[in-house]
Amino acid sequence: MNAHIRNEGDWVGASVNRKEDRRLTTGQGQYFADKKIPGTLHLVFVRSQQAHARIVSINTDAARALKGVVAVVTGADIRTQIKGLPQPVVVPSFAANYPDFWPLAVDKVKFHGEPVAAVIARDRYVAEDAAALVEIVYDPLPVVTDMEAALAEGAPIVHDGWASNEMFAMNYTGGGTPESEAAHARKVDEALAAAAVVIRRRFRVHRCGVTPLEPRGAMATWDDDGLTAWITTQRPHIDRLALSDVLEIPSDKVRVIAPRDQGGAFGVKAPFYREPILVCHMARVLGRPVRWLETREEHLMSVSQERDQIHNIEIGADASGRIVALRDNAIADNGDGCEGVYWGFVMPFFGAAVLTNAYDIPLCDIRIRVACTNKAVLSPARSFGAFAARFALDRAIDLLARELKIDPADVRRRNLIAELPYTTATGVHHDSGDYAKVFDHLTTLVDLKGFRAEQARSRAEGRHIGIGFSVGAELSGVSSAVLVSMENQPGFGAATVRVDPRGKVQVFEGDAPQGQGHETSMAQVVAQEFGIHPADVSLTTGDTGTTPFGSGTIGARGGSYTVSAVANACRALKSKMATVLLHDLKVEGVPSDVSFRDGRVFLTADPTQGKNFAALAERIVMAPLGLPAGMQAGLDQTEFFEADVPMLTFGAHAAIVEVDPETGIFKILRYVASDDFGTVINPIVVAGQVHGGVVQGLSNTMFEEFVYDENGQQLTATLENYKIANAADMINIESHHEAGSACPHTPLGSRGLGEGIPGPVPAALTNAVCDALAPFGIEVNRLPLRPNTIWRLLQDKAASKG
Amino acid sequence: MMNIEGTHCIAASREVVWAALNDPAALCAFIPGCESIEAHGPNDMAAVVVVKVGPVRARFTGRVKLACVDPPNSYTIVGEGQGGIAGHAKGEAKVRLVSNAAGTVLTYVVTSQVGGKLAQLGLRLIEGTARKLAGEFFARFAARLEPKASAAPREPNGESPVSAR
Repeated sequence: MNAHIRNEGDWVGASVNRKEDRRLTTGQGQYFADKKIPGTLHLVFVRSQQAHARIVSINTDAARALKGVVAVVTGADIRTQIKGLPQPVVVPSFAANYPDFWPLAVDKVKFHGEPVAAVIARDRYVAEDAAALVEIVYDPLPVVTDMEAALAEGAPIVHDGWASNEMFAMNYTGGGTPESEAAHARKVDEALAAAAVVIRRRFRVHRCGVTPLEPRGAMATWDDDGLTAWITTQRPHIDRLALSDVLEIPSDKVRVIAPRDQGGAFGVKAPFYREPILVCHMARVLGRPVRWLETREEHLMSVSQERDQIHNIEIGADASGRIVALRDNAIADNGDGCEGVYWGFVMPFFGAAVLTNAYDIPLCDIRIRVACTNKAVLSPARSFGAFAARFALDRAIDLLARELKIDPADVRRRNLIAELPYTTATGVHHDSGDYAKVFDHLTTLVDLKGFRAEQARSRAEGRHIGIGFSVGAELSGVSSAVLVSMENQPGFGAATVRVDPRGKVQVFEGDAPQGQGHETSMAQVVAQEFGIHPADVSLTTGDTGTTPFGSGTIGARGGSYTVSAVANACRALKSKMATVLLHDLKVEGVPSDVSFRDGRVFLTADPTQGKNFAALAERIVMAPLGLPAGMQAGLDQTEFFEADVPMLTFGAHAAIVEVDPETGIFKILRYVASDDFGTVINPIVVAGQVHGGVVQGLSNTMFEEFVYDENGQQLTATLENYKIANAADMINIESHHEAGSACPHTPLGSRGLGEGIPGPVPAALTNAVCDALAPFGIEVNRLPLRPNTIWRLLQDKAASKG
Repeated sequence: MMNIEGTHCIAASREVVWAALNDPAALCAFIPGCESIEAHGPNDMAAVVVVKVGPVRARFTGRVKLACVDPPNSYTIVGEGQGGIAGHAKGEAKVRLVSNAAGTVLTYVVTSQVGGKLAQLGLRLIEGTARKLAGEFFARFAARLEPKASAAPREPNGESPVSAR
């Protein structure tokens, strides 16, 4: 299948403007904050100002006395009214220490920003004023904000009753028993000892994440139908089950609706958070609608924080640069770990699991320890858990190449997985494609040979330019095989397709996209299948009352799983419509004898014999007389798509920079990505995913950083202190997917993309900076990458030489 | 954690300076934004102080204790306050008095920690404010104790603590 040759009327592969963009760019988006119900009460959280402290007392009298205040609740009030977490529906299948928690702190606070009390009032102003009147007396406890200190003997313990702060630990490759692990470690020791070159380094990636335009929010009503909750979420169906279990409301009495527009999510809206639980509970208690809209400050204090990992890497290679063994002792800082579904540690777990990336590394010893600290819990961010791991390994490979005096691009190319399918040492399945071809396309796009010549000329002139490479084999959807163990949820994509009697098509998707362009991509696929126009297709998402069950918009599921469910549902309906047409025409044949094109359904062999698409739909739905024997009426089809194997999407990135060694200031001259997206449904949507993902990766690498002081005070809860890249900081990002190949495991040959795009960014950029400064011999092994850190390394290097 | 150090020469004897440093009413008059200081026992006081840092205006209530008291040479004044939704602060100031020909040389070393919204404002704002407040304190202190100065405390430049209330 070649995705780049289109016939008239072919919608898959067409650069159709996004259906979403008109409303989003003209102020007509319907965000969570736009949803209002008369008589709604407003909930405001009182959040801890201490990082770790016993709650001695909470005086709510003054807050309650304020006119307009309806209720003030504390952890002590609600712990007897609702179940706490963990609850099985939002707990992974991993053995770990799962902390008990309620929506409001009970007995003690564990991070700066933890909800301690909530005020519900007639309007937001009153609620905010009353929140300021809640008097909390704390007895401060010793604070631990460093992951290695948290794991050391004698550290302050974050969770009462725990023997240590270790929440989760895993040896991925050792075989599961102390003896097998020791034997395996010896084997890796021996391989490293025999290697021609070994690199041992510590790589540190700071705490940073994703920041959607609209923060979180929840609004709930309670009536005879039960609970209806509007929640900014990527997984309405999971939230529904979790709310049912926690609040002990029968699931048929719970409906969750994710707003169609949420201003992005990028992972941060995927967990089952504590705040919506309280909103829903209070709506039931008070019998009135209750609404909470998060402030930016709350958002930056309590969620959107990811990465925060240390990777202690040992990697050995032979003289040709072929990697023979890899060891990683990884550590992650999980914050307090209190969060449904992910519990903070699932991201670093996954990052270490996919550490080997797209490289064929025969022998691995990979372990991780995840520590609880007095910080906010890690919440998922695009390049889920992998951002830090990608940085560590692709930096280490550059260091190997330098040691061997081989071009880093050649060392990378030499170690890419050559034959697919392939399963890594940690069990990650690489399904299909040609990684080397995609990588070679990248080195052609940047004219690597020409660049090296230019680099030599520039150096002679005193200019320091450099190029850096990295790769990413990222999720293309998450199969049940992976997701059941990781998050206790199914991986299938779910969609209902309904053809109405006017020939219009409604699609119902169980996930909750927040900017991925599903309204456009899904419509293109439906239009392609039925031979109609995408304008005749509408999409409904995120409402558990109307859509089939799905686990949510995560892990690049749209282009892999969801769209496949849509395509299969269309094909089932086409088969039915074709069968009726043949039956009505009294023609012997099979459905594949019938074509759908230009709004008509007709015999391929004789196009004059056929019917308008709308007329045929009307005949089947509205006049179900004389249908083929045994056929049901109606044109509704629900499909659950599960690929036969877990799938990945491969991409390779290159950054070209110029660095001023006097100041450390660097400029990105080019950023080029070569990806395998399989059959591309809409190049505009694909380019948008690449641009957005690279920008987020660059912003994380260069600007964003959550800072906690030694007392656990979070100092970066405003966008003044937490700097995010803006348009002026960025350059044109070159996105290419010509070297891709159709995925053999999806009906359209499409691959999911977008989730993993930021992953290769930090290594590409850092490798480029280090390449530019190769004559100075500096190494950047920790992020963020900023001019002052580069300048400091250059100064230190000069001092050590002097 | 923030550190501020300073030295002031005061044209008054060490005993006079020491007495003022131990008089809650006098301290209240000198501390910018101080609404009240009440003695709760020897070397133990309760204070209410209004502080404005950038956009945040907070009324801190807290305890002030004196430690390492070595009259009339030095003491350490330790304070801790809650500013409600604005945050919390704690700190200590080591104050040392040395006589010289002109009167008394007062040196101080302040270390302080802030938390909550105050901390999130960024230390650059807080440090500037703390320096300004320390400067105001000693300007008033010197003005009150120096016999040649007018009886009323000088208002410092900028926003006076009275109008800040």
